Amino acid sequence: MDNLLDASREALLLLVSGDPSLWTVVGISFSVSLKAILLAAPMALVIAFLLAHTRFPGRRALITLFQTLLAFPAVVVGLTLYLLLSRSGPFGDLRLLFTQTAMVIGQMVLCFPILVAMGHAAIQAADRRAWETAITLGARPARAMLTLMHEVRFGLMAAVIAGFGRIIAEVGCSLMVGGNILNHTRNITTAIALETTRGQFAEGIALGLVLLVLALLLNFALMLLQGRGVMHA
Amino acid sequence: MKPEPILQFHGLRKFLANRWLLDIVELSIAAGQCMILSGDNGVGKTTLLKIMAGLEPPDAGEVSYGGKVLPLRTAPQDYRNNIVYLHQSPYLFDCSVIDNVAYGLRRLRMPRATVQTKVAEVLAWAGLEHLGKRNAKYLSGGEKQRVALARARVLAPKVLLLDEPIASMDYKSRERTYVLIERLKKEGMGVVITSHELYAVLPLADVHMYLHDGKLHDDHQDNIAAQMSSLITTEKRRNV
Repeated sequence: MDNLLDASREALLLLVSGDPSLWTVVGISFSVSLKAILLAAPMALVIAFLLAHTRFPGRRALITLFQTLLAFPAVVVGLTLYLLLSRSGPFGDLRLLFTQTAMVIGQMVLCFPILVAMGHAAIQAADRRAWETAITLGARPARAMLTLMHEVRFGLMAAVIAGFGRIIAEVGCSLMVGGNILNHTRNITTAIALETTRGQFAEGIALGLVLLVLALLLNFALMLLQGRGVMHA
Repeated sequence: MKPEPILQFHGLRKFLANRWLLDIVELSIAAGQCMILSGDNGVGKTTLLKIMAGLEPPDAGEVSYGGKVLPLRTAPQDYRNNIVYLHQSPYLFDCSVIDNVAYGLRRLRMPRATVQTKVAEVLAWAGLEHLGKRNAKYLSGGEKQRVALARARVLAPKVLLLDEPIASMDYKSRERTYVLIERLKKEGMGVVITSHELYAVLPLADVHMYLHDGKLHDDHQDNIAAQMSSLITTEKRRNV
């Protein structure tokens, strides 16, 4: 117990003192996860819209597939990407393994099913009249789609926040395709794993606190959005 | 002289729920004319309006707009902005009344100043100036209907399709809506109104058609007055 208290005290000091190596790790985490969510969200939400608003063969199978992928372990995504990006893999020539780009790709794969499944649920629940009204007022289908998405924006924001929460906290994929290289691909979760094995609990706890505060902020934002969504229903 | 039709359908058919819901030989809408489309619940009035608006595809038929025969598949794109459909309970976007009314104009890529002027004019026309900045979602049913009418009117469409526009409205809101529809007719807009409350909408009618077993039956102009008096008598008896 004393160990834990000492380590926590030391962790707070590290955070407050602005320890450069610690904040570099935090910066890499945010940079990689923000890039991944920003790149994945537009395409995922368009797919969510198409699944909710159009009828084509295999649509139900696709919805089931995305829902199944929600439970896909990060480490399996990491393993698959590792095999694809390693020297002997089909994309080995791109030399992406152990780079932040590989981590971004991995996290995009991880958050994609969440964005599609939650986005689909939000758009599916939207009032059909919103689409018809936009069309009858002269909007072309692409514009009507944006209008509909604006109408269900709180649900879509919840999907983005949930997707971001999933990738900022994942460790398996980042560790496998990033390689946990200091100042390059070491992010919060891989650093926690490493510091713990080295017995450096203070750094691990400090980084854990950053994740905890982030989770708190995300949940708070989600709660606010859901509250507004109910008010606007 | 018979007014020139703006929108015409021939051989319009729609198969739904294992039956031919609609099998209409001919349907014409003329400028400045108000057509009342009556029929029992579930007879296909809303589906017919949505087909006319290009929101639902028919299974067969021919459409002419402004005297030109158009391919059924692409027709709605050709008469985009010129035929506006209003739901029974109009959908207003989650933004201000001004933004709702400006929605269609912005799709036409009009300059911002022109949009502002047109929106201000139409809000005055509908008596909604005081509600301009309010979120449209929180208006009353009658106010929503007036915003929807203003939003349609600002596009100056040739045909306006109103699905049960006075359903579940109080007397005052109905009166206001009648006044606006009358104004639209005078401005030369072709108006089609569906209703199962014939008594309430017949005063607006130039043409009355009723839908039964998928077929559209024409009710001659002379009959409208007779029907009105019969409906008034029935209503009076009901109230005694």
